[in-house]
Amino acid sequence: MIEQLKQNLEQVRTMSIVGMCKNAGKTTVLNWLLSEAQRGRRLALTSIGRDGESTDVVTGTEKPSIYVPAGTLIATAADMLRLCDITKEIVYTTGIPTPLGEVVVLKARSAGYVQLAGPSMTTQLAHLSGTFFDLGAEQVLIDGALGRKSLGARVVAEGIILCTGASYHMSMEKVVEDTANIYRIMNLPKAETLPPEVEESLEDCLRQNGEAYIPGALYDSMVLPLLQNGTLRNGRLVVQDPSRVLLTPDTLGKLETRNVKLEVRDAARTLCVTVNPISAYGWKFDKDEFQTKMQQAVDVPVINVKEELA
Amino acid sequence: MISISFDDKQKIGLQYALDTLHGCSPFGAEKIRRLRFYGPQEREELETELYNVEQAARFASELKTEYDKIGMVLCQMKDIRNSLRRCAEGVCPDHVELFEIKGYLQRLENLIPLYEKVDEKTNFRDLTFFDPKPALSVLDPENTRSRGFYIPDNSTPRLKELRTEKKRLEESLFHAEEKDKDAIRMERTKICAEEDSEEMKVRAAMGKAIAPLVPDLLENADMAGRLDFLLQKALFAVRYGGVRPELTDGELALTDMINPEICDLLEEKNRKFVPVSITLNRGATVITGANMGGKSVALKTVALNVLLFQAGFLVCAKGAKMPLFESVKMLFEDMQSIQSGLSGFGSEIVEFQKALDEVEQGYSLFLLDEFARGTNPDEGAVIVQAVTRYLNGVNAISILSTHYDKVAENADAHYQIIGLRDIDPEAIRRELQGSGDNGIEIIARHMNYGLYRVEGRSDCPRDALNICRMLSLKPEILKNIEAAY
Repeated sequence: MIEQLKQNLEQVRTMSIVGMCKNAGKTTVLNWLLSEAQRGRRLALTSIGRDGESTDVVTGTEKPSIYVPAGTLIATAADMLRLCDITKEIVYTTGIPTPLGEVVVLKARSAGYVQLAGPSMTTQLAHLSGTFFDLGAEQVLIDGALGRKSLGARVVAEGIILCTGASYHMSMEKVVEDTANIYRIMNLPKAETLPPEVEESLEDCLRQNGEAYIPGALYDSMVLPLLQNGTLRNGRLVVQDPSRVLLTPDTLGKLETRNVKLEVRDAARTLCVTVNPISAYGWKFDKDEFQTKMQQAVDVPVINVKEELA
Repeated sequence: MISISFDDKQKIGLQYALDTLHGCSPFGAEKIRRLRFYGPQEREELETELYNVEQAARFASELKTEYDKIGMVLCQMKDIRNSLRRCAEGVCPDHVELFEIKGYLQRLENLIPLYEKVDEKTNFRDLTFFDPKPALSVLDPENTRSRGFYIPDNSTPRLKELRTEKKRLEESLFHAEEKDKDAIRMERTKICAEEDSEEMKVRAAMGKAIAPLVPDLLENADMAGRLDFLLQKALFAVRYGGVRPELTDGELALTDMINPEICDLLEEKNRKFVPVSITLNRGATVITGANMGGKSVALKTVALNVLLFQAGFLVCAKGAKMPLFESVKMLFEDMQSIQSGLSGFGSEIVEFQKALDEVEQGYSLFLLDEFARGTNPDEGAVIVQAVTRYLNGVNAISILSTHYDKVAENADAHYQIIGLRDIDPEAIRRELQGSGDNGIEIIARHMNYGLYRVEGRSDCPRDALNICRMLSLKPEILKNIEAAY
């Protein structure tokens, strides 16, 4: 499993680690990527907004800090520098403002702990990735957003690691189902060709062309009537990126039954799903059952952060 | 002190001129944004600036590559003046500040040889840079010339020890067994804290070492800004033609001057700006002419060029003799305060009073466009005649545009828009009849916006009657008009 994941990691230059919830194990995954999986690669690291406190602000639980090896490039807000215990070399100032000061790129002259507070806009992140590569980085890791917000991750990263865990919900079934749903949306296939764009109504467009490109978001209320009156059958719907799909799992299932293809213009690739069977709120799942159920729901490696990566 | 509102800057086309400049450095951009005007006491500084701009303009094509390179270096400069001032005040600079200061010094180091190469040709006056090397050697003690900023291990013996120890602990952490790791981590935390405080000492020492150099470094920022601005002024002169005026003690004489904004506007419509020439002396000068915009343009163009000159620009003209004014005041017909509740005429008088108070403080330029147009023509004419007579005695060059009767004979000098003076109305009438074109457009094309000086007796311009003839007004009416003239 780990070997397959390592192979998957080789294939992307930018990677975003996104979580279904707090305490899903994002930082554990990051630390694993930075130490075990780095294979001597020059890595660059940043986050979407502020993350990485040593105590989780929401749950109050102790959480691991991000530990980077010497040579790593880090982009973080200027006010965070005093919380980083690496020996620092400032290499670039980005001009990107944050509430915690300008985002600064530094190089770790020694290994150590870092606190990340990167740009909050995806366009800024995309630009920052470019800067990282210019400065000699081989792979860029982004400590990404939570839940639905992470669906737009394609703009900044080619590959995604999806982290989920017991903290998301008390019911294991609910955790698996919702994670699988996000996974499914995140991994919608890339549209090879773009169908005509919807102008007046989706129904007209589908009747004329049998397929449609929806420029905005895709809701249940747009799709369900067309499923009921039979317009949507064997067709193809394309949206810009996974964040535009606001369909319930039920509707997604119905589209599949009707043989309707749902595709995205900008597709990302989920490289693996990680699970954390222990919740920050007191309960825990049976680790083997959780991992097995999750594995049945997705077709990429599923890894237990507590055992395989810790 | 000359101070011009944003509104007036826009009206006379000064803002347009400034918007065509692209200050590359934050220092240059600031000089453009906060434009300052040289006063009569700063004659020498202004002459130096004008000389420098003229020299820069003269070599603009020969040194284009160098100018571009200078622009590129200036573009990379960041505004580090606050960090420098903090150093001078004894505040310990942080990592990022030191990085930015180092970057600034490196850019200065790149700029100076480029500047010197240009200066070999242009021989700029009163523009020198201090050597950034002493400061740079503080921030880059190992002379690595790297872009990044890093406190080297060798900065203090203690720092070297700490860093070596930190590295040793990191390695042992890597190989240690789980049970020993916490102890190593705690030791590491202690070392990191000590490293941090040792680095702070080094940073404070660097700040202290830079502090005595700060005045020079701030001066360099100002020089970079001046160089930036003067190259922009030179390129402006190349674009719109520029002449270095001869300084006078009172006379203002402009030959074939233009207004870049209106030039560009007309060019879009495939028309040409007619250059304006005017000679003005202390006292009131009146400009009259048909009401088709020529008078206002003349006033605005005078104001624009005077202000450009006093801001250290070459003047958009073929020839210029200019004095330095204490203040420049203008009242244009589209006054904003009309909306503020007062009647148009009332607010005009209020504005006039305010402006006159300032004008009487020292040698000034005072421009009045269609003054007192807000009242009935009989009263208006009387008022403007009185104002004109008064302004003859004020220590200022005053220019009034008007189409009220008998104002001109009260003034020291009188100019008139050439307008349709040299056009044969009959020829135009035939042209108009022959084509289906818009008559107004054709007349506008024949209109000569140039000025001529009226000596002695001043006839009312006959352009209105001529326009009636050209547009073939009903002959019965035309006959009545002609009879009444």
